[in-house]
Amino acid sequence: MLNPLFSGLEEILEKVSSNLKLVDKGLGSLEGGYVELFTILALGLLAVIPVVAPRPRRQLYRHLNQIFGIVIFIFVVFTCMGVFGMIRNFQRGLGEIGRDNRMALYYCSVPATILAASMIFGPSFCGWICPTGALQEFTGMLVRPWHKRRKRAGYPFSPAILALTVLIAAVFLVWMAYLSATRVFFVEDASIYWSETLILLLVVLAWRMGRWDMRLRRLRILSFAVVAAASFAGLRITSPVHFGFSKVYDPASILATAMVVLAAVAVPNVWCRYLCPWREAIAWAAKHSVRSLSTDPGKCIHCGKCAESCGVDAVADGKIDAHECHLCMKCVDECPTGAISVVDEWRPKP
Amino acid sequence: MEDAWAGARGTPSATGTLVWPDPKEAAPKIREWHFPGKARSRYKAGLAVWASPAAAVVDGRPMAFVGGYGQTMYAMDLAEKKIRWSWITNGEIASGPAVGWVGEEQAVFWGSADRTLYAHFASTGARLWERELVRPTGSMSGAEISSPLLYADRLYVTCFAYDRALARNEQKGWLFALDKRTGGVLWKLEVSRGPLGSPAGRTIGGRFIAFVATRDGLLQAFDLSAGGPRRLWSFQMPHEVLGSPAIEEGTETPLLFLGSKFGSLIAIDALSGRERWRRMAGNWIDNGACVGEIHGERVVFVGSHDYCLYAFRSADGELIWRRRLGGEVYSAPSFLHLPDRPAVAVAALDNHVYVLDARDGNIISAYYTGSPIWDKVSKGDTVWGSPVALEALAQSALIHGSFNNTVYVIPLVGECSLRALTRSQTSLWYGMGAVAAIFFGVLLPVILRLPARRGAA
Repeated sequence: MLNPLFSGLEEILEKVSSNLKLVDKGLGSLEGGYVELFTILALGLLAVIPVVAPRPRRQLYRHLNQIFGIVIFIFVVFTCMGVFGMIRNFQRGLGEIGRDNRMALYYCSVPATILAASMIFGPSFCGWICPTGALQEFTGMLVRPWHKRRKRAGYPFSPAILALTVLIAAVFLVWMAYLSATRVFFVEDASIYWSETLILLLVVLAWRMGRWDMRLRRLRILSFAVVAAASFAGLRITSPVHFGFSKVYDPASILATAMVVLAAVAVPNVWCRYLCPWREAIAWAAKHSVRSLSTDPGKCIHCGKCAESCGVDAVADGKIDAHECHLCMKCVDECPTGAISVVDEWRPKP
Repeated sequence: MEDAWAGARGTPSATGTLVWPDPKEAAPKIREWHFPGKARSRYKAGLAVWASPAAAVVDGRPMAFVGGYGQTMYAMDLAEKKIRWSWITNGEIASGPAVGWVGEEQAVFWGSADRTLYAHFASTGARLWERELVRPTGSMSGAEISSPLLYADRLYVTCFAYDRALARNEQKGWLFALDKRTGGVLWKLEVSRGPLGSPAGRTIGGRFIAFVATRDGLLQAFDLSAGGPRRLWSFQMPHEVLGSPAIEEGTETPLLFLGSKFGSLIAIDALSGRERWRRMAGNWIDNGACVGEIHGERVVFVGSHDYCLYAFRSADGELIWRRRLGGEVYSAPSFLHLPDRPAVAVAALDNHVYVLDARDGNIISAYYTGSPIWDKVSKGDTVWGSPVALEALAQSALIHGSFNNTVYVIPLVGECSLRALTRSQTSLWYGMGAVAAIFFGVLLPVILRLPARRGAA
């Protein structure tokens, strides 16, 4: 019964995938390195917007930036900006330095720009640009009141979260059953194992998210290590949203993307919290960034609005966990007393 | 004696397969071989890193001849796994060679972007002749010379040259006829004002007829039996054409098959030029088709950028099967007989060469042949190399010049390291079970025992 449904869905996805790069021919006519320079320029512009966006309606500008990021990087940019692909490309690009510098520029352009921007401007890539993060955040908006209630209650176990987890797991299993019966899977389709891990995590989180949330975030390090090891071993593993960068119908990546989006209904930004390898690299790069968030304890009235607004639980009672912060600045905008502010060490002191 | 590889895909039906000629004596063992290109040129996106190879049995040894962007033609001894000879030209080699008899010896014929056609003896690489087809000018870019077509003592080849000078700006595509022994130009005929594909041809009703498709889609038929060419008919295809026609064999009223970037495969009566049937694929067809015979019935195979390989009954165009692969099918198919079944091999843009059962389209094997050497894929502008096959029972093999700069010799029977690490349905679920076991049995207990990170909110 489900077969015609999946076949029809697959037909649509194939057509969409093959026509995704809207400006394919336009950019193809440009000489070599211009496309990469265009990518760097676009990324640089997107990274600067968090700095210049005015505080009133800052979140509106942020969402526009995220939408622009999706449009630019999925419909225009050729190099893979999937979270696995960036690690793989970076490793390959570094190896090309001195041998073919233009290719090195091509492969390193996106990851190097993101890391450099994170070192200077802080982890704003996660909060303002990342297409995977944006997809999760937009999905989470649909159930934001429910997420807020669960957060206030300390993420308790409930029949609703259990039912949702079972539903997502069922979608995954049925989709996998269809794909496994109709397609040949390759090593690069290993993103299905990340999808599976995401489902397993949802089961654990439905039960004990309140207690184990922070501990489980160490899985990101393991995720990074596995992707990096695969890259050095010459194995290619595609990540969620990879299909958007490749022009090739990639069912495993589409399934992984669908699972990330669905899982974000149950747990806000679930991929960023527990499995995103690039998030770990950005947190490291942004450790000593020029821009960061700071709380003035004297002004804090412990109202809890900052914690309520944060999508990744990086702030509690005015204390900011810099390792988890996406620099989305929702807490800054929500704070009624202005206790949380952006510290910019480069700004001239009055 | 019959020429071993008389045209772009070996035979008029474009099977891209060399059948081991001696059924009494088994072919020598053919082992897996990855021959890396040595070119240091700066590659452009989408170019043909390797052109399609040609295969021949020379001095009793199976050999393949392949050239590419590295400007060099290599003679690969498939049994010894060594390069018997190589020859550097002054331009890229974008089309596959032909191999045929000149007297008692076999010779390899190929064109290069240096506007020159080369003929060398297949066994030693000694030069037979070289012929510059177009006189150079200071403002002329390299020429596009197709794969030669051999018939009797003649060689037919197409050549497109573009002179960019304002004073004598011209773009011309010619069909040349040369003497196979001396390389002397017998005649040339201007057939287009744009690039054109490799000629295909066969003898029909005692006349040798050649078919040439131009890039802008004009298919023309020429009777070459008399001294000079006589245009028989022309047929306008609906869109650009990059491949060459495949012609039915074993009939005196053959159809020829040609695909276009409109996505249509058209069957045309080779004698009258009338359309017999037309079928649509879901996207471009930017390479040739091939015709194979299964249980006495002729079947046309063609790949498309809609990721699918199609098998149509040649008589009426009825779809026999359609198999979706992992990427755009950019190559022309090769049709061969494995010891247990007929098979068809194609290369796709997911960096795999697939071997499928020609009867029902089931995938027998997939081989990983590396990702493109260019930084991004520019598809549909160039005819990239297609795999060719050696049909020799247990020694059957594929030879494919991949866009990762390596020529692969892939044994089709027995083990091969390139065999893609595909998962069967069962192993896929076992793998997922293992991930679940590792997650709950190892990862979760270990992670939960680790101390909390300092600074956590």
